[in-house]
Amino acid sequence: MIVMRDLMLRLVLWLLLAPLLPGIINKVKAWVAGRRGPPVLQLYYDLAKLWRKGVVMSNLASPGFIIGPAVAWVALIGAALLMPLGPAGSVVSFRGDVLLLIYLLALARFCTAWAAMETGSAFEGMGAAREVSYAVLTEAAIIAAVLSLIVHTGSVSLSTMLAPSAGAGAALLVAGLFTVLLAENCRVPFDDPNTHLELTMIHEVMVLDHSGPPLAAILHGASIKLLLFSILLVQAVLPMGDLSPLAAAGALAVGVLLVTVGVGLVESLLARFAFRRVPLLLTTAFLLCVFALLVAWKGDAP
Amino acid sequence: MSLLSALPLLVAAVAMSTSLLLGRTAPRGWLVATLVGVAAALLAAAIVLMGGADWEWRSSFLLGGEPLHLRLDSLSAFFLVLLGVVGGAGSVYAREYWSDTAHPRSARTGRFWWSLMLFSLGFVLLASNGLHFLIAWELFTLSAYFLITLNRQCSAVQAAGWLYIGASHAATLALFAFFTLLAVHVGSWDLGPMQEHTELAPLFWLGLFGFGLKAGLFPLHIWLPSAHANAPSHVSAMLSGVTLKLGIYGLMRFSGWLPLPDGAGWVVAVLGVTSAVLGVAFALGQHDLKRLLAYHSVENIGIILIGLGFALVAVQQGNPVWGRLALAGALLHVWNHGLFKALLFFGAGSVLHATGTRMMSQLGGLWRAMPWTAGLFALGAVAISGLPPLNGFVSEWLVYLGLFDATLAHGPAAWLAISSAIFLGITGALALACFAKVCGVVFLGAPRSPAAAHAHESGPQMRSAMLVLGVACVAIGLAPVIFWPAVVRAMDVWNPVWVGAETPVALSALGLFHVALALVALTLAGWLWRRVQRSGLIRAVTWDCAYALPTARMQYTAGSFAGIITEWFAWILRPERYQQLPETCFPATAHHAEHTPETVLEKIVKPAAALVMRVSAWARSLQHGRLQAYLLYLLIGVAALALFVLLGGSP
Repeated sequence: MIVMRDLMLRLVLWLLLAPLLPGIINKVKAWVAGRRGPPVLQLYYDLAKLWRKGVVMSNLASPGFIIGPAVAWVALIGAALLMPLGPAGSVVSFRGDVLLLIYLLALARFCTAWAAMETGSAFEGMGAAREVSYAVLTEAAIIAAVLSLIVHTGSVSLSTMLAPSAGAGAALLVAGLFTVLLAENCRVPFDDPNTHLELTMIHEVMVLDHSGPPLAAILHGASIKLLLFSILLVQAVLPMGDLSPLAAAGALAVGVLLVTVGVGLVESLLARFAFRRVPLLLTTAFLLCVFALLVAWKGDAP
Repeated sequence: MSLLSALPLLVAAVAMSTSLLLGRTAPRGWLVATLVGVAAALLAAAIVLMGGADWEWRSSFLLGGEPLHLRLDSLSAFFLVLLGVVGGAGSVYAREYWSDTAHPRSARTGRFWWSLMLFSLGFVLLASNGLHFLIAWELFTLSAYFLITLNRQCSAVQAAGWLYIGASHAATLALFAFFTLLAVHVGSWDLGPMQEHTELAPLFWLGLFGFGLKAGLFPLHIWLPSAHANAPSHVSAMLSGVTLKLGIYGLMRFSGWLPLPDGAGWVVAVLGVTSAVLGVAFALGQHDLKRLLAYHSVENIGIILIGLGFALVAVQQGNPVWGRLALAGALLHVWNHGLFKALLFFGAGSVLHATGTRMMSQLGGLWRAMPWTAGLFALGAVAISGLPPLNGFVSEWLVYLGLFDATLAHGPAAWLAISSAIFLGITGALALACFAKVCGVVFLGAPRSPAAAHAHESGPQMRSAMLVLGVACVAIGLAPVIFWPAVVRAMDVWNPVWVGAETPVALSALGLFHVALALVALTLAGWLWRRVQRSGLIRAVTWDCAYALPTARMQYTAGSFAGIITEWFAWILRPERYQQLPETCFPATAHHAEHTPETVLEKIVKPAAALVMRVSAWARSLQHGRLQAYLLYLLIGVAALALFVLLGGSP
């Protein structure tokens, strides 16, 4: 019963807090550019509006066009519920749950790519192809990062893996995971969430044809994914297990805020890279994670 | 000897013999006999796997001069289950797919060879005598050849058959040497645990070549893509789902029974990683649906070999527990790959049946005409990409856990484990990319040819065969705990040191999570679909940047979808490009075609074979039928011998 209540509480927290992050990023970008910018709660308004709207669907699309985003959304929430939350720990935890988290993200990716291919549009095919191709490199980077945490902490479940700080390799891990965060969440310099030039986009172009509630599910899922990666990054680096519950909760909140502001700053100061440079940057992220792994290995060798 | 499993096995043998006789004349009787045989074999295997005693039978009946010795232990029962499920589903599928009306002549012979293949495959699993193992092995190799070439008017089929039978016999040759040397050293053809003969360790390499070729590990997979692509689809499903696993069975059987040479596990694991990554890379470059699936077999065999390799490494390092997890993953992946790959080949067969083409550039939009096939193919695609909540993820998860624990052990295998885990992750992401491409290009979007536009759903028999396999994939994914005891019992036979493992708690947690995920996803998807329909669903033309007349040719193709990744792997894929770039201000024509050849075959095996042929042709010119020249050879020979003796060599 307590587990169920805990689960519900977390679910509500994730669902309600996630859309805040894109709002903060936009505010930071506006602030750097000297604009007033949209309100922080803009995504909430957008989601509410989309939820009430009808759907326009391509003539070619099957029910999978609607089911895909729904399943992707569930997969992302499932991944979010696996993630331990600072002092509260995790509600579902077992050996190897970290793999389940990685593969749930992959399931979401498969469903989004499926829905994109439904329309038969070359643009969306292009976006899906880029998404699944670049994910090969990000997945390698994530597994290397996870391995470095495993080696460092001697544990293969998320709740114990994320409790101590990442040790000497923390700086490398931050750089690597932050790059992965930018790539996986379609942020500059990999993708530009603001552009409407389809040829240059990855994630945004995959959802061109979506509208109404399915689009709301996609946007909300994307914000959950961003929050998930920020929390992962913060907990991997900070010694959550050593802090008092209140301090840990505060550190987590401040950390996530810092990551969000960081994303906003990167977006304000950098331009999107040319596509041929994307694999290079992702390979760099992978190498950073591998170096973090080496440091962890050196630091903990008996 | 346990009577409990003897009776079903007897029934299976009688039923399969009956089906051999009925295949030519009475198709219905054939199907019933085959299914009875398959069910009986499944029952026998289930009894052994659920805790019954092993079944062993020594008869005084001589076959080839050797007394018949059969044995059904948990390891052979484990593979027998796969043979039963896929074989049974394939028999039902074949009745409709390769029907008498469509193939009046080959359907009859096809049924005969199919029964013979099932029979001999079962015999391989039961044989406990080296000579009988070889006889059964050769029998199933030959019956598979006749099944591959059922449609032998087609030249591509003939070529595939030749390559298959040539390669298979290279494997059989190695196995001949393997079993003969074994018999010479041990003094009997009888098979069983023989760890005490440490001098037999080098035989492992012969077995690795012979069984590895049959399993299709990279770079011995050269025969596999063309054979699997050109065989009738029910045969492809059987080849890929079951006969490849017989190679794995051989490797597991004899690596468990024989002593291991140093480094065996390392070699197997490295070969596994190579097969996994390169198999899926080649798959991405394919345009032929069945050829693509065939390359995915190479990938999945690689995953199985990673697990087996680490189990072998563990055995050589004093049996740490991580070896168990890796082996459990490998064993479960044997089942899983057999199930979802057979499902995918059946799906590909339905597509071929409905449209008459395997080329993905001719397909598209098939979900409308074939919703069942599309849905079940998607299920198989999710499973083979190793995504939760289906079975592929469970076995890959076990292998990963083995690798992680091996890393944590900080032993000599840790670095191999780290790199294998990273490559396994890359393999998973590549497989996902490949199946997003296949599903998208074949089933979604707009039809790219009239054939695809006028496709039709396959009939009840083909659908039910696919449905059975799909349900099996879901069952293992949602309730892995139920199947765990079978895996453990098979492991106990392989390495008795690991006896008696309780179910890992994590596995039950994973199963529960899968169930919850599946339930919530289904409910929510259904609810969203209904909500969308109620709130006024409007159908309109696809948004193409306001271009209102999109055509099917404007869609992304299979080649362009995989383009980014095939470019990364161009160093090994060696794609051949034929293109005419648009020129001048108003280009009238332009085209681009890309074809990924079988690099190992085209760039290594064929040149090597050509070299051998050239040397042989040159040597043949010595023999031309002119008597004078032969007398000259004699004289030269005698003179050389005389010189040898004169110079003081001892004769």
